[in-house]
Amino acid sequence: MTRTPKKANRTKPPARRRAAKSGVKSTGISAGKSTGKADAIESLIAASAAALALPIDPSWRANVRLHLQLTLAHAARVDEFPLPDEIEAAPVFHA
Amino acid sequence: MLETAPADFAWSTAGDIVAAVAARRTSASRIVEAALARIRARDPLFNAFTAVTEERALARAHAIDDARARGEALPPLAGVPFAVKNLFDIAGLPTLAGSKINRDRAPAPRDAALIERLEAAGAILLGALNMGEYAYDFTGENVHDGPSRNPHDLGRMTGGSSGGSAAAVAGGLVPLALASDTNGSIRVPSSLCGLFGLKPTYGRLTRARSFPFVADLDHVGPLARSVRDLALAYDAMQGPDRDDPGCADYTPEPVGPLIDRGAQGLRIAVAGGYFKCRSAEAVQAVDRVAVALGAGRDIEIPQAERARSAAYVITASEGASLHLDRLRTRAADFDPAVRDRLIAGAMLPASLVAKAQKFRRWYRSEVLKLFRQVDAIIAPATPCTAPLLGQQTFMLGDVEMPLRANLGLYTQPISFIGLPVVAVPVPLSPLPIGVQIIAAPWREDVALRIAYALEAQGVVAAPRPAI
Repeated sequence: MTRTPKKANRTKPPARRRAAKSGVKSTGISAGKSTGKADAIESLIAASAAALALPIDPSWRANVRLHLQLTLAHAARVDEFPLPDEIEAAPVFHA
Repeated sequence: MLETAPADFAWSTAGDIVAAVAARRTSASRIVEAALARIRARDPLFNAFTAVTEERALARAHAIDDARARGEALPPLAGVPFAVKNLFDIAGLPTLAGSKINRDRAPAPRDAALIERLEAAGAILLGALNMGEYAYDFTGENVHDGPSRNPHDLGRMTGGSSGGSAAAVAGGLVPLALASDTNGSIRVPSSLCGLFGLKPTYGRLTRARSFPFVADLDHVGPLARSVRDLALAYDAMQGPDRDDPGCADYTPEPVGPLIDRGAQGLRIAVAGGYFKCRSAEAVQAVDRVAVALGAGRDIEIPQAERARSAAYVITASEGASLHLDRLRTRAADFDPAVRDRLIAGAMLPASLVAKAQKFRRWYRSEVLKLFRQVDAIIAPATPCTAPLLGQQTFMLGDVEMPLRANLGLYTQPISFIGLPVVAVPVPLSPLPIGVQIIAAPWREDVALRIAYALEAQGVVAAPRPAI
């Protein structure tokens, strides 16, 4: 069943959302400014490339990193939004 | 009656061509021959076509003329030339989808469903059109085939990814083209090239035998130089199709008889908040349309910026999933701008993608509530007029933004939940820009009615380029 979150915009934001409002990104991998977060992105690229058997030429790496940071920032914006546990995903499926 | 009309019909609407063929003022063969001549003469400027199906087109034109000579009733698009973005299957050709890699595919055994439906209605396929690689593009630039060029200024972008579709119609090569729209690829080039574009409700038009991008966001639809032509093509293409799992099981709802009912009585509002564009051209275009429609009220589309982010995330992840094998084996053959985004998308944690899909459900529910208050919402189609080819950034107010990722700023939150939209061209000088007329799901008729009323008032029009 789909339910609208109860006053999603009026409820007290969770700690993670407050952090986002204060300018600190909610997921370490998405901010990417401090050395630790930069390392997290590098680690994610290295681990994912290995796990997925994706070849990445060294000359592509900076752009891949840029796009991953940008996409993670978009994902963080979605992640910080409170949703009810009961809400279901939207893709269309016909049995 | 003898054929007496000018042979070219370059700037005629599809409706005018149908009438001229039916009245024997010209023939389908002459229409097609003239269109082929235009393609030979002008396409080197626009770079719209990647394949021209000359023999096939002439054979179909002769068949229509023969049917007319036998006194048979002509179908509703008899003699209308059209072309398709090269992600639609054309029997006998590999389906490129803007890529180098797909050139190695076997020729398609059968036409895409929408080509079959348009040809069943008498339209005549002239060829395949340039596009951004694998549709992951808003610019219309293609590293393999070269950029499609904007007929209003050949040094500028068409917008993408359906860049060739827009160039072919705006440049007077064909009156009608098919395109796809995952995040804005019909509406962005419509805006930058000054055309009418229809992105129907998700599930309305079959995508069978077209190359996918993000299956749960992919739409297909027509571009044209008039609203009546959009409606003619749309009506010919409606109907369920079991070959497309996303196509709804529905009874076709022809809009042709409805579009001239005027916009009176419709409740129309202007999208506020996120959609309040800071570019002078977009503001001017939306204001003109709003004034003409008497739309004095703003309405807030809730969490639109977050919706755009969620669409961005889903696109990156599902696009990457589609191309994962190709990224492993032929990464060097991609357009680098596309490849690096896809590789990044493959690395997104699944938990974040699932969250985006859940947010989508919430957002849809909230936006549908707005349609209890209004029948249509007006929003800018693009944040700027056509950028220069090769341009990397643009100014939105006083903020410099990357171009490739942000031309779809205003289209993504709408297609994200499959709402039907007609992009209408406001003929500003020196360059046109589009406005989105957004309606409730399955109410393409409302958006087309409004677009038709605006066109009748002269507020929107597809400007003819000075070629």
